[in-house]
Amino acid sequence: MDIIQGRCDKVTNLLHKRELERKSDIEKKLQDKKAILAEHERIEVFETTFGEKRLEIENALNLAPSLSTRELPNHLDTIFKNILNLQKYGASSKIFLRMYDVEKCHQCIHDLTTRAKDLEEKLMPKKKFGFKNKSKVVAPINGHSKDVVDYCSQPTFKFDDNLCGFENRYGETLILPSSEIYKKDVRIRKVENCVIKLYGTPSTLHLNQLKNCLVFCGPVSTSIFAENCTSSKLVIACQQLRLHSSTDIHIYLHVTSRAIIEDCSEVLVAPYNFRYEGLDDDFNNSGLDPEVNHWSTLDDFNWLNVERQSPNWNILSDSERISDWNNYTLPAR
Amino acid sequence: MGFLTVLRKMKQKEKEMRILMLGLDNAGKTTILKRFNGEEIDTISPTLGFNIKTLEHRDYKLNMWDVGGQKSLRSYWRNYFECTDGLIWVVDSADKRRLEDCMTELHKLLKEERLAGATLLVFANKQDLPGAFPAEDLKNILELDKIKTHHWKIVWCSAVTGENLLNGIDWLIDDIAARIFTLD
Repeated sequence: MDIIQGRCDKVTNLLHKRELERKSDIEKKLQDKKAILAEHERIEVFETTFGEKRLEIENALNLAPSLSTRELPNHLDTIFKNILNLQKYGASSKIFLRMYDVEKCHQCIHDLTTRAKDLEEKLMPKKKFGFKNKSKVVAPINGHSKDVVDYCSQPTFKFDDNLCGFENRYGETLILPSSEIYKKDVRIRKVENCVIKLYGTPSTLHLNQLKNCLVFCGPVSTSIFAENCTSSKLVIACQQLRLHSSTDIHIYLHVTSRAIIEDCSEVLVAPYNFRYEGLDDDFNNSGLDPEVNHWSTLDDFNWLNVERQSPNWNILSDSERISDWNNYTLPAR
Repeated sequence: MGFLTVLRKMKQKEKEMRILMLGLDNAGKTTILKRFNGEEIDTISPTLGFNIKTLEHRDYKLNMWDVGGQKSLRSYWRNYFECTDGLIWVVDSADKRRLEDCMTELHKLLKEERLAGATLLVFANKQDLPGAFPAEDLKNILELDKIKTHHWKIVWCSAVTGENLLNGIDWLIDDIAARIFTLD
């Protein structure tokens, strides 16, 4: 009997134990199930909230094109803020999200941002001007790009081939015919002890660093710009004359508007007396009026006193004027 | 409401812009102004001092200040800086020798606090001359890409023929208008 009782107890215990095991198992499974459910719930909540916010932003984006330019900046601002908030929300929910969800969330935010940016570009175009897109072109000056050290030195510009004029000449007679200077910009620089004759009508004339020279020129249709010249005689006709930083210059001048001097001294003026065949036609071509000549009034930028005449220039006295250039020779230097 | 706000409101009402035209002497500033205004250009004298013109263009009232570019006048340029909406820098594209001078003066000018915010239009003038540098070359020579403080653009033109002047001015006006008349 005892033995039966003993076995019976054993079995009951076993059964009981099994029962407990089973129950705890169920409990555990239930808990697991619950946990999974909870996780699902959290994902679900996230998904709905995320979806809602996303929809909100999308609606706002769709609304943007119909807004006036006044409301637009604020509106777009809100959109960008909302996108940022959404991104933050997504980032904070990362812990319980599956990889797939995180990826999806990222994609969505990325899409929204690009859409918003495109919209902004379209509706509120930034000023046409942009520095960023400019490709940096390094100016190759004289064949080599300048570096920081070079930057201090004087950049020298290549005189191009179609340049009309003379440079670095000494003791010569330089002549250009009408066909070569017509409507061109003629420049003469660093010339010493030379006689220069320009027949015809250039568009402009530049004279620089002339020393002991005699320059004849037909009517220049716009301006003559002369700088750093000394001890020279100019027989010139133009619309404007600008003479800078020069001394001891005699100008036989025809100017239809005004002549000015700046930082000059010993400038003496007389009327234009260059005569050659075809001069009348050249006056015609240049558009200068041969009847209008303001040779006798110079404006001196260094002398603004109207009551007293500038000491830097004067009228060349009759006795000193040269009337016959054919018999004139340059003083030897 | 600050003083600048008041000014801006006033300008908005009148659609008025103040444009300052500067550049080296003999660049063609006065010629551009007169050509733009439809006046004779063959009687223009070198500018002793300044010219001011008020023009009506595209519903805007443009107060154009053209100040002489002689060396002795450059120190007076600063007297004209106040309240400038747009700056036109005129370059004689054929005067190669003075381009370095031109670059230095321009960059010096752009450091001026009172010109901060002004739109810069560079006119590569005298393109009718055969020896003129194209605008693209001038952009490099004048180192315009270094300018980060102003909206700028370089436009070729010829004041003598009148070519492309409107293009430049229109860009300038658009840029200024976008800044002062909208979105404030």
